[in-house]
Amino acid sequence: MIAALALAGGVYTAFTPGAFAEDNVQLSAAAQEGKALFDNSCISCHGRDGQGVEDRGPSLIGVGSASVEFQVSTGRMPMTRQEAQAEQKKPQFDEDQTKQIAQYIQELGGGPEIPEGPLVDNLETNPESLARGGELFRINCTSCHGFGGGGGALSSGKFAPSLHDATAEQIYAAMLTGPQNMPVFGDNQLTPDEKRSIITYITQQLQQDKDPGGLFNLGRYGPSTEGVAIFLVGIVLLVFTSLWIAGKS
Amino acid sequence: MKRRKMDLAEAPVTFAKGVDDRFQAATPLRALLNKVFPDHWSFLLGEIALFSFIVLLLSGTFLTLFFDPSMKEIAYEGSYLGLRGTEMSAAYASSLHLSFEVRGGLFMRQMHHWAALLFMASIIVHMARVFFTGAYRKPREINWVIGVLLFLLGFFAGFTGYSLPDDGLSGTGLRIASAIMLTLPVIGTWLSAAIFGGEFPGELIIGRFYIAHVLIIPGILLGLIAAHLGIVFKQKHTQWPGPMRTNDNVVGERMFPRYAMKQGGFFMAVFGVIALMAGLFQINPIWLFGPYRASEVSSASQPDFYVMFMDGLVRLMPNWQIYIPIGNGYSIPPMFWPAVVGLGALFTLPMAWPWLEARKTKDKRTHHLLERPRDNPERVGIGMMALTFFLIATISGGNDVIADKFHISLNAMTWGGRIGLVLLPPLAYYIAVRICLGLQQHDRQVLAHGVETGIIKRLPNGQFVEVHQPLGPVDEHGHPVPLEYAGWVVPKKMNRLGALAPAVKGFFYPVEKPAETPVSPAVGGPVKKEEIKSGR
Amino acid sequence: MTTVHHAGDAGTPPVDVNDPHLSRFDIVKEGLRRDDIEIVTYESQFHGQNSKAEKRVVRNIALLFAISGILTLAFVVFYIVWPWEFELGHTMSDYYTPILGISLGLGLLALGFGILAWAKKLLPHELSIQQRHSHPSPDDERLITGQTALFVADELGVQRRPLLKGAIALGLAPVGLAVAAPLVGGLIEDPHKGDLPMMYTTGFNPGNNGGELVRLTREDGSPIRPEDVSTGGQMTVYPGIPGGATNHWADSPTLLIHLRADDAEVTRANADADSNGRNVGSMWGNFVAYSKICTHAGCPASLYEQQTNRLLCPCHQSQFLITDNAQPVFGPATRRLPMLPLTVDEEGFFVAASDFKDTVGPDFWERP
Repeated sequence: MIAALALAGGVYTAFTPGAFAEDNVQLSAAAQEGKALFDNSCISCHGRDGQGVEDRGPSLIGVGSASVEFQVSTGRMPMTRQEAQAEQKKPQFDEDQTKQIAQYIQELGGGPEIPEGPLVDNLETNPESLARGGELFRINCTSCHGFGGGGGALSSGKFAPSLHDATAEQIYAAMLTGPQNMPVFGDNQLTPDEKRSIITYITQQLQQDKDPGGLFNLGRYGPSTEGVAIFLVGIVLLVFTSLWIAGKS
Repeated sequence: MKRRKMDLAEAPVTFAKGVDDRFQAATPLRALLNKVFPDHWSFLLGEIALFSFIVLLLSGTFLTLFFDPSMKEIAYEGSYLGLRGTEMSAAYASSLHLSFEVRGGLFMRQMHHWAALLFMASIIVHMARVFFTGAYRKPREINWVIGVLLFLLGFFAGFTGYSLPDDGLSGTGLRIASAIMLTLPVIGTWLSAAIFGGEFPGELIIGRFYIAHVLIIPGILLGLIAAHLGIVFKQKHTQWPGPMRTNDNVVGERMFPRYAMKQGGFFMAVFGVIALMAGLFQINPIWLFGPYRASEVSSASQPDFYVMFMDGLVRLMPNWQIYIPIGNGYSIPPMFWPAVVGLGALFTLPMAWPWLEARKTKDKRTHHLLERPRDNPERVGIGMMALTFFLIATISGGNDVIADKFHISLNAMTWGGRIGLVLLPPLAYYIAVRICLGLQQHDRQVLAHGVETGIIKRLPNGQFVEVHQPLGPVDEHGHPVPLEYAGWVVPKKMNRLGALAPAVKGFFYPVEKPAETPVSPAVGGPVKKEEIKSGR
Repeated sequence: MTTVHHAGDAGTPPVDVNDPHLSRFDIVKEGLRRDDIEIVTYESQFHGQNSKAEKRVVRNIALLFAISGILTLAFVVFYIVWPWEFELGHTMSDYYTPILGISLGLGLLALGFGILAWAKKLLPHELSIQQRHSHPSPDDERLITGQTALFVADELGVQRRPLLKGAIALGLAPVGLAVAAPLVGGLIEDPHKGDLPMMYTTGFNPGNNGGELVRLTREDGSPIRPEDVSTGGQMTVYPGIPGGATNHWADSPTLLIHLRADDAEVTRANADADSNGRNVGSMWGNFVAYSKICTHAGCPASLYEQQTNRLLCPCHQSQFLITDNAQPVFGPATRRLPMLPLTVDEEGFFVAASDFKDTVGPDFWERP
């Protein structure tokens, strides 16, 4: 179905090459590559030149490269079908291809971009960044993603994803663009410095720091898994012990 | 030299004499050494609670040495980098301090928390054992009530303890507690203002909860536990029916040395399991939660598991508000019903149960023999109904975690819980009663016809019949004489009979050989009749 | 209730414990007889003394005790020498708590099972029967005790001396009250006192700011311009008064939301059509601000879904529709989230045009 749509789109573009010849001239080499990929995989839903298709896919004019990098690098796009929430999948494009599509969309209509330079603060030189990031994380992020960054449920089958495997670029892009139901955190609200602090907290504290309280952190889901553990481990062990104690030797 | 040696050997005797001169201890001490306890694995479940309470007292005392129950705002300067410089209450800072800067402090904190969970979990399991075996019947109603009170007090001890670190998660719990107080008609706002010393959260609540958690509640708990054990001691433990066992005796082993030694070993095992869990599983990582701020919250905010049933009921309650259009108008918020009325009913109904049941069955006799669950299907049905209700409510208390991890719609989880709460308990009742009756019937069938041998015989008329091995004597036609049910295990397989009975090894068997019960003619006396009533 | 007959009933004659021919066990048995206990079986678990089986059991128990000793000693050693100070990242100190738990836990389990094995495998098996004696006290005893109690009551003579009856009621009842009064009285706080009663006002009330309108600020106290919140974004804001972001103003945190134009239009239409008129004109541009404190149980209802325009509360899953005056659409909440009337001051910063017009926070009895 999608292949057919993509084919139809391809055929359509093939028949009307002249109308867009002028735009193509302005595209950089990377964007040219990106356009080719776009026309192959994205055009069926997002339309020619990312104009969007009614009831199928939104316009991509002005979403910026950050948005593309997030959606494509996490495998959310291309989407297999319309549902409550775009699921994270194995990405279909490699890093270079993602950058090329992003470049194409950026050159089409502008929009937020992930800045150059490191996205994680060096804690040797800037140790305060971690606590600052934690503070901002708890104000802005934990309500959906949870204190441990494990994600959480939203209404009617939607959910906030786990942050455990998110890369710094993906987190930055998500804050900047507000993918799906996530609110947008523009640079006026959370400055690039603050965003870096949040990313530092997520990557250094939540992703890399080993939990000091035990070999197993029970998924950091809090009391619900702790309650399961006390019955499955504590009570089970002790009931077997008491069976042994009272059993005949 | 010699003379002196003699004196040393005589010393214990002299000492014992001295003690008895003053306290007349000899007779009661002998009675204690000789006291007989019945032995069955299910009688050890209450001990788990007792021993974890001792661990709670020990580890809790350690924690008080470092905890500062103050809500004064300070900036954190400890070794946990992720919070350094953050403004927080002194209570939270000292909880972090004892986790990170006190050697072994985190281990003690985790032991305390796991012991608390084990305390509550074992109370639930113990309570289920007592319920399903009818151990709460006269004369033990009061001890059952004390048991329910112990759960209630454990509930509050747990909640106050969970609140003390003043972290982001426990503060949210306190917020809800305040909201629950507010739902009380007429006095709600006054009650909340009294407990919090003004508007939520105020600056007093941690100090107040601290004194409740370390003095008032454990004090009452200690008193009630002492009463609980004292009554068990005075009334002597219940026992299962079986050979030699009557309503007037206790069959088992003497307290010393074997029984007491088993208790000591079991205490060490409970202690060991708690220590092991405290080392293996991280619990309540408060450093991730940050200090409590009224504007901050986490997805999957839950209370500890023994409060979860209440949170679950609050989640499932439909938004039915009662408006009373008098004057400015008054309202009863929907949370009032599950959190105040529901909680009250969930504790008072079980307390009244022994008398309710006695009234219904017109049973005023004294019972020291337990009933096998199958012999009272009605009770098992009601117990399963209550357990199912509790379980669904508890699961609903974590329905957002389940929704998230198993990709179920959150709204569907809520509706599933609402429907389940109405439909599943009666279903559980029905299923449990049917199972009990089926088991009962099978017992009676074996007693009447014998054990199925698996040998199929063809009769001259072409009919196939299975040969049954009678359990007792046979009449002149070779038919087994129906035996009466004695309230205890009936052998159902050939390899459980007579000399073929397995050399009872370990584990699932009590000291006494159950297989002999119905066979032994000594048991068929008139005494046992009292225990024989089938459930229906 | 009859008793089951068994050997060694009351019929057994007492033994003279001073008889030098008695073994120690005979004396023990005499004690058992006096305590109404009969030992049915009491036998060693082994055939003969020092049997092979017994030696094996003894060795195993000794081994368990030795393991326990080694592990608990290891616990002490680890406690002292293992690096324990917290460091960020994946370091040896992360294993401090696990190593303590494993060494102590297994050490105690070995000890426990050693003791249990001793009791279970080495000590002789026994089966004892003790009579319960759970019969109620004899009738004459009951009678005597009852009469004694009545006699005591008579001696007090309250029945005969009506004046004392009244004196007890009137004169002594206040003693009980005196005990209760400080406890209750000391705790009482009027929740409705003052010009700005706590149940009905928040930090956004101009009364907390010397009559000036209160600015919306970030957690660090900095004021907010409209361009600071992107379209489809939200920001947690606090009253711009001293300590406005602290828990002292726990009822004040508010969610400032910048809606997309089409959503804003719907929201404004619904706000202006508000049946009790409280939300009319409370939006500013495409911005709307709702109290973050859930009207159900007071948790921050702050899971903002940007596309579906829902606010979800993580504690009990109440859901509020932002475009319809934050009316609850799912879950246990019955009341909408209060809307904060927004405007912008002359310097271009957001201010609250007034306090919330609905009552903030969880519901209670006397809320009008």
